[in-house]
Amino acid sequence: MTRLIVRRCAQSVPLLFVISLLVFALIHAAPGGPLSTYLENPNVRPEDIARLRQAMGLDRSLSAQYVAWMLAFLRGDWGYSFADGRPVLERLTERVPATLELVGAASLIALALALPIGVFAATHRRFDRLTTFLTVAGISLPVFWFGLILQLLFAGWLGWLPSSGRATFDGDGIGDRLAHLVLPATLLAAVFAAAWSRYLRRAMQHIIGRPFIRAARARGVRRTALLLRHSLPNALPSFVTVVLLDASIMASGAVVTESIFSWPGVGSLFAESLVKRDYTVLMAFLMCGSITVMVLNLIADIAVQLIDPRTRDVS
Amino acid sequence: MSATLRHLRLALGVPLLVACTKDASRTRAPNDLLTVGYDREPDTMNRYATHILEDIESCVVEGLVTNDERMRVVPVLASEIPTVSNGGVRLRADGGMDVTWKLRPNVRWHDGVPHTSADVKFTVDAINKGDWKPESVDGFDRISSVDTPDSLTAVVHYREVYAPYQLQFVRGTLPRHVLEGQDIDRASAYNRAPLGTGPYRVAEWKTGEYILLERVPNYWRGAEYPKIKRILFKFLTNTTTRINQLKSGEVQMVALVPWDKVRELRASPAIRLNQVVGNGYEHVSLNEKRFPAFSDLRVRRALAHAIDRETIVRTILDGLVQIVNGPIQPLSPAYEAKVATYPFNPAKARAMLDEAGWTVGADGIRTKAGSALRFELITQSGFAIRENVAQTIQKQFRDVGVDMRVRLVDGTSISGLWFNGDFDAMLHWWQQGADPEITLFFAADRAPPAGRNINYFRDDSLTKLLYASDRTADVDARAVLLRIAQRRVAELVPELPLYNTSKIDAVPVTLQHFTGNPTNAGPFWNVYAWDFAPP
Repeated sequence: MTRLIVRRCAQSVPLLFVISLLVFALIHAAPGGPLSTYLENPNVRPEDIARLRQAMGLDRSLSAQYVAWMLAFLRGDWGYSFADGRPVLERLTERVPATLELVGAASLIALALALPIGVFAATHRRFDRLTTFLTVAGISLPVFWFGLILQLLFAGWLGWLPSSGRATFDGDGIGDRLAHLVLPATLLAAVFAAAWSRYLRRAMQHIIGRPFIRAARARGVRRTALLLRHSLPNALPSFVTVVLLDASIMASGAVVTESIFSWPGVGSLFAESLVKRDYTVLMAFLMCGSITVMVLNLIADIAVQLIDPRTRDVS
Repeated sequence: MSATLRHLRLALGVPLLVACTKDASRTRAPNDLLTVGYDREPDTMNRYATHILEDIESCVVEGLVTNDERMRVVPVLASEIPTVSNGGVRLRADGGMDVTWKLRPNVRWHDGVPHTSADVKFTVDAINKGDWKPESVDGFDRISSVDTPDSLTAVVHYREVYAPYQLQFVRGTLPRHVLEGQDIDRASAYNRAPLGTGPYRVAEWKTGEYILLERVPNYWRGAEYPKIKRILFKFLTNTTTRINQLKSGEVQMVALVPWDKVRELRASPAIRLNQVVGNGYEHVSLNEKRFPAFSDLRVRRALAHAIDRETIVRTILDGLVQIVNGPIQPLSPAYEAKVATYPFNPAKARAMLDEAGWTVGADGIRTKAGSALRFELITQSGFAIRENVAQTIQKQFRDVGVDMRVRLVDGTSISGLWFNGDFDAMLHWWQQGADPEITLFFAADRAPPAGRNINYFRDDSLTKLLYASDRTADVDARAVLLRIAQRRVAELVPELPLYNTSKIDAVPVTLQHFTGNPTNAGPFWNVYAWDFAPP
């Protein structure tokens, strides 16, 4: 396992370098720049723009900017935000807990829904038909629209839940925090619960059709044990991989959810920085995103090895 | 809440979480807290460095002057506005001018240190030193030096006459005793919670969530001010979320309500919609450099006659705005009402285009010398009203044989397009300052990057007039020149003016002394006086 970890880390270095190059080129290829917002103000004159461009180092060639960024990044210096002049690392880290809270809650909700639905749908045809409809609807939901509908229904009309934010100002108690979490976590969970339950259903069906299950059934193993002890553990390894990889996608999917619900996480910071073309923050966000995907990928491989003895022999 | 929903709620018997989400403000004393749904988080609280509106900042840091709800310049930390007639402005023989600012006595920074002319001098020096990155140094770079004969007098020496001098210190002053010797770009303590003289100070800034302001004791206007104890600015970037929170009572006030949300808010009994005529105007810029047909005056006039502004305002804009005919808005003392107008008249538009040599082809589109009267209009995406207006104009132009395509561009990209002149026509409005200067929009030598003449319009007599107005320190004399300039602009139609940008703020019905503000001084300009009526 140590060898796996070392090998993966070694592989990721050149990969991260290529990613940084691509991402840098992409965000600079987008029209406009950090100074675009200044142009809207007619009192900002060309001299001011030129002065700011120079002060911010934007007058250098792209390659010079990239090299400067890379050297600083290697030293652990993530630079300053173009938008508010604060250190990028500070801006990013202060937003991480909120995103972890949201993604964590959404993952739990999605798992709590996907596991039973996936297992039952694999074995109960009627239930399968019903959930097929619901899960396909869930997968195809436009997140932005569904978020606003949830907000309108539960906060606007019914008044049961707060419409946005992470907590009521000077409100206290875990109840208040939970109430704020319900809508965004549900929204984020909806799509993944649907996808994961479909995936688990398919994996379960595949296992149930295998000869060893038929043999177990012939030996008189009870139906529940057949499902939970013989089928599910065999379906889990691939499911776990999907879930862990999706968790990183979920964190990026949180961009929309966080924006709708004014959730103060990294996702809304990204959306904001994208509009402002805050290059340093965008670079840091995208690099962290890439690293997260790689780490979760590695964790998925390790987890699969732990769950599934067969994979251990291979490596 | 509709009856069905109420029944549903009762039927389900869901007390679920309701107890903990009830808006706490209903149990508070009225003047304890005002909750504002704000559309964006400030980049910095430093008024000189921010490039968004200074609503939150202006509650903390006061200018020497501000603009009131009628757009008049009124003194705040200055005891009077310097003018030529009161001796506050002296024109020098060398072409420069001296402006004497008398400061209000007994004003102290929040830490108790007196606010003095040394702070005015420090502000000018800090900006002109050049190693700091304030957004704009306009005007400051014309100041050669500042003298401080006494602690309440600052004499500002300009190298040349600078007509908008009255608004030079609208963003206030920097506290010398705090910032001297510091790198202001990195002075995060000041930039996050600036020391001011205003009615409030920053109590807490929770990144991504809110800024909380609390009243300062011993505010210079008197112990009874400000009336409201705390103001909470919640950052709600999504417009629908902001409006939903307003309707659910989670926030009590939203500044600058989008026009297409006004109708749904009218039904809310707890909300008053305060409307003022804004200091901006929606218009279509015509880029003569990129699309040469626009340099023919007959074409520009024909296009103006082809647009039915009354129908646009009555239908798409729900009558919320008023039609205007030029760049200086009705509230300005320099406004000229008697200018040439181009009422909706498609027949006249067609005749003018015929006369200009543009004849209708088989497909209904006019051509001249082999090229079609076909261009592209860009406008910012994400504004339903603007998209509708663009489509309506497209249809109205089509009726007179002009083919206009519409392209929606995101906000960040569009500024690059107009700055580089990469567009034919653009539907937009400018964030205008309270000062009536229009030189940078219409002078022949002020096309980008030197200014905002994105029509690439050239008229020597207009250019001369505009520069003469810039060099006239006397407000009334300058207004005379600007009125002539407005008549000239209307006559030559370098762009197609549509309507004024009304500013509509949603405030609680019980909030008193709220007036709104047409300028970038913003609706919080008189926040010290706001007061909730007792229940």
